[in-house]
Amino acid sequence: MNSPPETPSGAEQSDAELLAAHINGDPHAFSEIVKRHRDRMWAVALRTLGDPDEAADAVQDAFVSAYRKAASFRGEAAVTTWLHRIVVNACLDRMRRKSVRPVADDELIEAAERDTPMPDQTLEREVSMEVSAALKLLPADQRAALVLVDMMGYSVEDAAQVLEVPSGTVKSRCARGRAKLAPILSHLRNRSDLGRVSSAKGAELRDG
Amino acid sequence: MTGDTHYDLEILAELAEGLLDVGTARQVREHLAVCTPCGALLADLAAVREVLAATPTPAMPMGVALRIDNALAAEATRGGVGLAEAPDWDELMRDAPWETAAEAPVRLGVVSDDGTIVPARRRASRRRRWAMPAVASAAAAAVVVGTAVLSSGVLTASGGNGGGLQVAQPSTPTATRNEVKSRGYALTDSNHNYSDQDLRREMVGFMGNAEALGGGETPTGVSKCVNQVSARTKLKAFAVDQGQYNGQEALIVASWKNQPKNKLRLDVVDPFNCKNLRKPTVGRW
Repeated sequence: MNSPPETPSGAEQSDAELLAAHINGDPHAFSEIVKRHRDRMWAVALRTLGDPDEAADAVQDAFVSAYRKAASFRGEAAVTTWLHRIVVNACLDRMRRKSVRPVADDELIEAAERDTPMPDQTLEREVSMEVSAALKLLPADQRAALVLVDMMGYSVEDAAQVLEVPSGTVKSRCARGRAKLAPILSHLRNRSDLGRVSSAKGAELRDG
Repeated sequence: MTGDTHYDLEILAELAEGLLDVGTARQVREHLAVCTPCGALLADLAAVREVLAATPTPAMPMGVALRIDNALAAEATRGGVGLAEAPDWDELMRDAPWETAAEAPVRLGVVSDDGTIVPARRRASRRRRWAMPAVASAAAAAVVVGTAVLSSGVLTASGGNGGGLQVAQPSTPTATRNEVKSRGYALTDSNHNYSDQDLRREMVGFMGNAEALGGGETPTGVSKCVNQVSARTKLKAFAVDQGQYNGQEALIVASWKNQPKNKLRLDVVDPFNCKNLRKPTVGRW
C-alpha cells in the first residue's frame, strides 16, 4: 500500500481525470495510471496466485483489459477499486481455468530472490515464502479476501466492492481462511515480535 | 457452555469478525474467559492477521512492468491511438536483456565512445541473476547520480523539439566525449551491494563517503552509460557509484530532480550495456 515515491512532480491529476483523458485520446494518460498502481496490482496478483509468472500474465491481461474498457468505467466506484476488481477477476479466472500448478520449493526461492531482494533478511524471506505456500492451500475466494483485507490492508467494505460481494461474505471468507491458516502459520509469530501484539489483540477479543 | 466442549477455530474466527449472533457470541466469550486452550487458539487466529500484514509486498519487477508497457503500446497501435514516442526508460528498455535473454548476442567487449571495441575487463566472476552473456559479468557496476541542469546547455539542447536520443554532453564547455577529466560528476567505487531498501535511504551515506576516484580515469563504460542515462533523463548526473545491485554489477547514477527539495533521480544500470536494471526511482541525497 505504500507505493514508492515515483509519482512525477508537478500538478497531479486524479485517477479519474487521467482515465477521462485516456478515453479522450490522451496517449500518456493510461500509462500514468499504470505507473501509479502497478506495484499494488502486482502485489495483489502475486499473493493471490502465488506464482510470479501467472501473476505477470494476470496483471498484463488486467491492464490491457482496463485499457480497452475504460469507457465503460462508470465512476460510481474509485478507479483503484475498478482496477483491483479487474486484476482480482483476472487472477480468479486463471485459478479457475487451470488449478495453478504446484510450485517447487527451489522455484519459490528463486522467485523470492528475484522479486523481493532482501540480501540480509533471510528471516523475512522465509516468512514470505511460508505465507505464500500456506495461502495456496485455501480456496480461491478465501485467498482473494485475505489478500485484500489482511495483506493489503483494505477495509472489509473496500474488499467487498472489489469482489462484488456483501461485506458479510468477505468477513466470513476471511474468518474461514484464517481458521485454516492458523495451525499452519501460528509458529511464525514466535519468530518476530508479532506474538506480543497478537496476544494483546487476542486478550482484548476474549475479554469482549 | 463452560464445560468440556471447546470451540473450533472457525467459530472463534467468526466471533472475531462479529459474525456470530449475540447469544452464541456471549456463550463463546464466557467459555473463553475460563478456557486456556481456546484462548490460545484465538491468539493463533490473531497471529494469522499479523503475519499476513507483516509479509512484505514486493514491487513489480522491471521485466513485468516492461511487458505490460509493451502490451499497452501494442494495444494503442491496434486501436489507432498511437502512443507518443517519449524517450523514457520504458521505451529504451524494450530490448532489455531479461526480455530477450535467449537471443541476446554474446558480446566480446564494450564499445567505447570513439567506436573502438574495448575488451571488457574481468573483475570477479559473479553469478548473474539475469540471463546475461557471461562476458557481461566483467565490468563493474556503476551507480550514477545526476544533478538538475542549472546552467548548462543540456536542457536547451535536448528539450523542446526532437525528443529522440540525444546524448547530453557534460556541461563543462571544454569537455568532449573522451575527455574524462572533466566528467562533471563524482565517481566512486564503493562496490556496495545496493538493495531496494538502500535506494530509499540517503544516498550520501553510500556515495558520499566512498573514496572518489581521481579525475584521470573514468572507465569507458562508465562515461558511456552516464551519457546515456543523462540523455534519457534530461538531467545531469552529479554522482556515480560503481557497485552492485542485488549482487549484479551496477552503476548507480544520481541526478538532481529537485535539489532544494532533496529529490534525486536514481538510475541503476548495467555497466556493460547501460540498460536499466530496475525502475528509475526517486531518492534522497
